[in-house]
Amino acid sequence: MARKDSKLTLAQKEQRTAYRLLIPALVILAAVAFYPLFEVFYTSFTNRVFASGTDEAPDFIGIENYKSLLGLTIQEMPPVIDTETGQPQTDASGKAVYERAVRVLPRTPVRYREWFQFSFFGKRYVVGARDPEFMKAIWNTLVFTVVSVFLETILGLGVALVVNSNFKGRGVMRATMLVPWAVITVVSARIWEWMLQPTRAGLFNMVLNRLGLGDGSLSFLSSPALQMPTLIAVDVWKTTPFMALLLLAGLQLIPRELYEAGRVDGASKFRQFFSITLPLLKPTLAVALIFRTLDALRAFDVFQVLMGNRMYSMATYNYYQLIGNRNMGLASAIGVIIFIFIAVFAVIYMRFMGVDKE
Amino acid sequence: MTGNKRTLWILGKTGFWILVIFIFFYMLFPFYWAVNSSLKSESQLQMTPATFLPVDSQGRFSPTLQNYVAIFKDGTFVRALWNSTIVAGLTTLLALGVGSFAAYAMGKLRFKGKKATLYLILSLTMFPQITVLSGLYAVITTLNLSTRLSLILSYMIFTLPFTTWVLTAFFKELPSEIMQSAWVDGATPFQTFRMILLPLTAPAMVTSGLLAFIAAWNEYIFALTFTTIAPGARTIPVAISLFTGSVSRQVPFGEIMAGAVVVTVPIVVLVFIFQRRIVQGLTAGAVKG
Repeated sequence: MARKDSKLTLAQKEQRTAYRLLIPALVILAAVAFYPLFEVFYTSFTNRVFASGTDEAPDFIGIENYKSLLGLTIQEMPPVIDTETGQPQTDASGKAVYERAVRVLPRTPVRYREWFQFSFFGKRYVVGARDPEFMKAIWNTLVFTVVSVFLETILGLGVALVVNSNFKGRGVMRATMLVPWAVITVVSARIWEWMLQPTRAGLFNMVLNRLGLGDGSLSFLSSPALQMPTLIAVDVWKTTPFMALLLLAGLQLIPRELYEAGRVDGASKFRQFFSITLPLLKPTLAVALIFRTLDALRAFDVFQVLMGNRMYSMATYNYYQLIGNRNMGLASAIGVIIFIFIAVFAVIYMRFMGVDKE
Repeated sequence: MTGNKRTLWILGKTGFWILVIFIFFYMLFPFYWAVNSSLKSESQLQMTPATFLPVDSQGRFSPTLQNYVAIFKDGTFVRALWNSTIVAGLTTLLALGVGSFAAYAMGKLRFKGKKATLYLILSLTMFPQITVLSGLYAVITTLNLSTRLSLILSYMIFTLPFTTWVLTAFFKELPSEIMQSAWVDGATPFQTFRMILLPLTAPAMVTSGLLAFIAAWNEYIFALTFTTIAPGARTIPVAISLFTGSVSRQVPFGEIMAGAVVVTVPIVVLVFIFQRRIVQGLTAGAVKG
């Protein structure tokens, strides 16, 4: 053994040591990331049942899972014709009455259910989906991602600018910023759930009621109009500090001399912000945006705790199909779709922001 | 004119401080509300309108510790605390150990395929865990591991790439001369790693270890899925999300808030102590790219 070793050059020895050191990490990652990923891709083409208890091999069903998740159809809704007058029927307010969506959408060979309706050039259309719940989950996730990441960026930048200026208690502020970040997401969701109770025992209803807004029984978590804003508010509280911390680090990399030069040239604070701060902060901003967007696209904790089965994100719908419906094939297909979404966003971002050029 | 400028300056200062105070309250208030609610009895919690302090119906200050007593008497919460500590602790150790091996190789040694390995690890830090949920379940069933062990193994998905990445950056920054002089003295690469580089990277270990611990302590989706059939292995996030309390007439928010405070305080203390390191760790990956 010793003789064999001595035949190797120093570089070869080094290379061998490197491979040996990498093996544990690569084996673990192969077991928990690459193999499961492969398994998910494969399972997404089968009708495998979760914890079926039988040894029966699942059938290969091609892209059936993807079809049943993403199948869409658009149908024109004919106006209802009054049998007596032969004219299109109108309701009390004079609007045309259309055929019910259920009767317009195809039922065979597969059933399409209503997702939403829209009017176009005076005609009424209905969009049917084979799985409207999943379509809504995609839509919810996208709205959640875009709005919450946008708000977090603006607020995070504001907080970072405040903390970046010199004042007494700056250290305390910086420590405070870590509190929402350090709270377990599930715990923060439950704290907010309690604050958002639909009676005046809940903080928000009590305060809003005192201010003369609302009747003290706003149901933030179950009324459809309030659900999404509530989710976003909870997420913004939890993740703004993270954004602010990253941006703060970026701000501190900007040389002070630039601002002094700007002041000498008579640039206003606004001008300094747009001509110095923002351009130099761009790389940090890009990375922070990527992190947060990828995170928001796979949002699970907040949706699961606050909404349960009332409203899904892509991730909670995946969980629901896997555990609730035990439909492993379909859940795997959802997993693949989430993966593709995230990969696409990552690539767009990196191209757009020029991160990969470095 | 100067008077005008002075007024503007005072206005600006006041505005600034209002902003600072507002941010301060915004970030701390939900936690304050949890503490406040955790000190209220069942009837105080149902009082309308809700009060900013735990007071009784006469308005007298009367906090109670009954929620804390209840959660510690109830075995579920204590077991969850224990499970979380074990799982997050061992996850951290494993991720640091295995991660530092790989990081040493990538940060200090020359080998074929280094660039590809680096990219692989970096792309894994962005890997969406939710995607592999069903596949991972299959792996775990095949390996037939205990639930806690399966959790530790699955948490490698998000902790291992991260610790490896952060530690690689630190190893790279260590001067190569130290290493070379050790080699000249006849130390093997592994000895160099264990006796010279490892002690030097202790600060980086603390940083990435803390962040890995917090991430594992926080994890919900795998824990929720894998403990569906093993309630005894539930971790804190799962226990708190499914909390029904000992007397389940309605959702026992008093006890949930007490639980929230108990699990948050240690982390917040830890975060305050290691504030600087954590911020460094969070930004190391992000700012330097």
